[in-house]
Amino acid sequence: MLSDKELIEQLKIRLAKSAEMAVMLAKQGEELQSVNEKLSESEALKSHFISNITNEIVNPFASILGLSKNIIASKESDIIKIKSMAELIHSEAFELDFQLKNIFTAARIEAGEASPEYIKTDISQLITSIISAYKYKAEQKQLKINFSFDLDKALSDAHFFRTDPEKLKLIISNLLSNGIKYSNAANRIEVKAWRDENSLKLMVKDFGIGIDKKNLEIIFDRFKRLDASINSLNPGHGLGLSVTKSLLDLMNGNIEIASKRGIGSIFTISIPEGDDTNSDGYALDGNEFIFGNSEDEVF
Amino acid sequence: MRSSEQENNIKTHYLYPAALFAEPEPHLVDTILGSCVAVCLYDPVKKIGGINHYMLPFWNGTGLASPKYGNIAIQKLVEKMLFMGSSKGNIQAKIFGGGEVVDTKTNMFKIGERNIEIAENMLAELKIKITGKSIGGKQGRKIRFNTETGVVLMKLIQKST
Repeated sequence: MLSDKELIEQLKIRLAKSAEMAVMLAKQGEELQSVNEKLSESEALKSHFISNITNEIVNPFASILGLSKNIIASKESDIIKIKSMAELIHSEAFELDFQLKNIFTAARIEAGEASPEYIKTDISQLITSIISAYKYKAEQKQLKINFSFDLDKALSDAHFFRTDPEKLKLIISNLLSNGIKYSNAANRIEVKAWRDENSLKLMVKDFGIGIDKKNLEIIFDRFKRLDASINSLNPGHGLGLSVTKSLLDLMNGNIEIASKRGIGSIFTISIPEGDDTNSDGYALDGNEFIFGNSEDEVF
Repeated sequence: MRSSEQENNIKTHYLYPAALFAEPEPHLVDTILGSCVAVCLYDPVKKIGGINHYMLPFWNGTGLASPKYGNIAIQKLVEKMLFMGSSKGNIQAKIFGGGEVVDTKTNMFKIGERNIEIAENMLAELKIKITGKSIGGKQGRKIRFNTETGVVLMKLIQKST
């Protein structure tokens, strides 16, 4: 039998323990709550994204259909009108193509089917072709795109760089498209590329609305657009930069941003030259995978 | 000289980090692992297999949920096996890699160890039996996975600094 005093002591200990438990439970409850909030936020973002891309795919198609119908119905003498309609069709189709590429690339990255395929690429030509593809869009906003490629004279083949051209193309397209989208009209965009030892560096500088400091961290999150009001004026589904970041990750590259609200943004990417070595630090010399001798461990 | 299997015209595939591979056609899938982990899933009834190669244990919730992360890579691989017609009860797993190949004094991140842990935990949760493994240690591994037979050949490798 326990004395009263002992019983009281025991009770005290148990009470203290249960109080501790209650605190822990409350803490776990809070954690659950925050996870729950995050999940519902992600759900909301996803449905927002779906309605967004529906708009972005349906609207260009509607204008392409309408415009092409107009062209078919127009007379031969209306050549100037026809030409301007064809230009609009091209620009809508171009935007559509770009958006779809981003969506498919995101899906491919998620499915793990996006390993880089490195080939020797003429960087200068690649960037020039991207810029000329965006020329029409830039002209609509009276923007000038200045491109400079700093050649290292010591490297005779400085133009050439082993990389995945398709992925690099999408990365640069996203940066340039953003630059044009968020630029103030009648301004300029600077694109500069240079080699830094074994890396390719590329900078896209715009003089546009810029990004707030507090938002710099979330711009790579999927589906996030910083300002919903911009949404109505400018198309975009918030996938571009997250795709850009993931592609750079796949190629062991990185991206830096310097930006000031109201002044503009500078995006700088750096990509190491791709080669045949594996990321874990083992060189593949072609003889790595000779299996079938007695030394192999079999599982 | 290549091994006899390759002479039998079975297709080969080199699996890059952060990728996964699962196709109904028989393949020899090669990959090199350091602190990364590869989970090989094999269905002895359908005679098909799939493999992933992930670099980090958990997706942090931002950016894209790519199979660079263990929790995503394992889930996607199981989904692919089910999509190819396997039933979950038949699937067996073999896990490789997760060595601490980079010599750090503090070893604060324990990437290899955590990569292994997520594989073991997730497979246990999914009730998928682990029938073979070579994990941890300080060496890298080269593996070749035959998706038709489920056999994995492995070599330990010295670091080539």
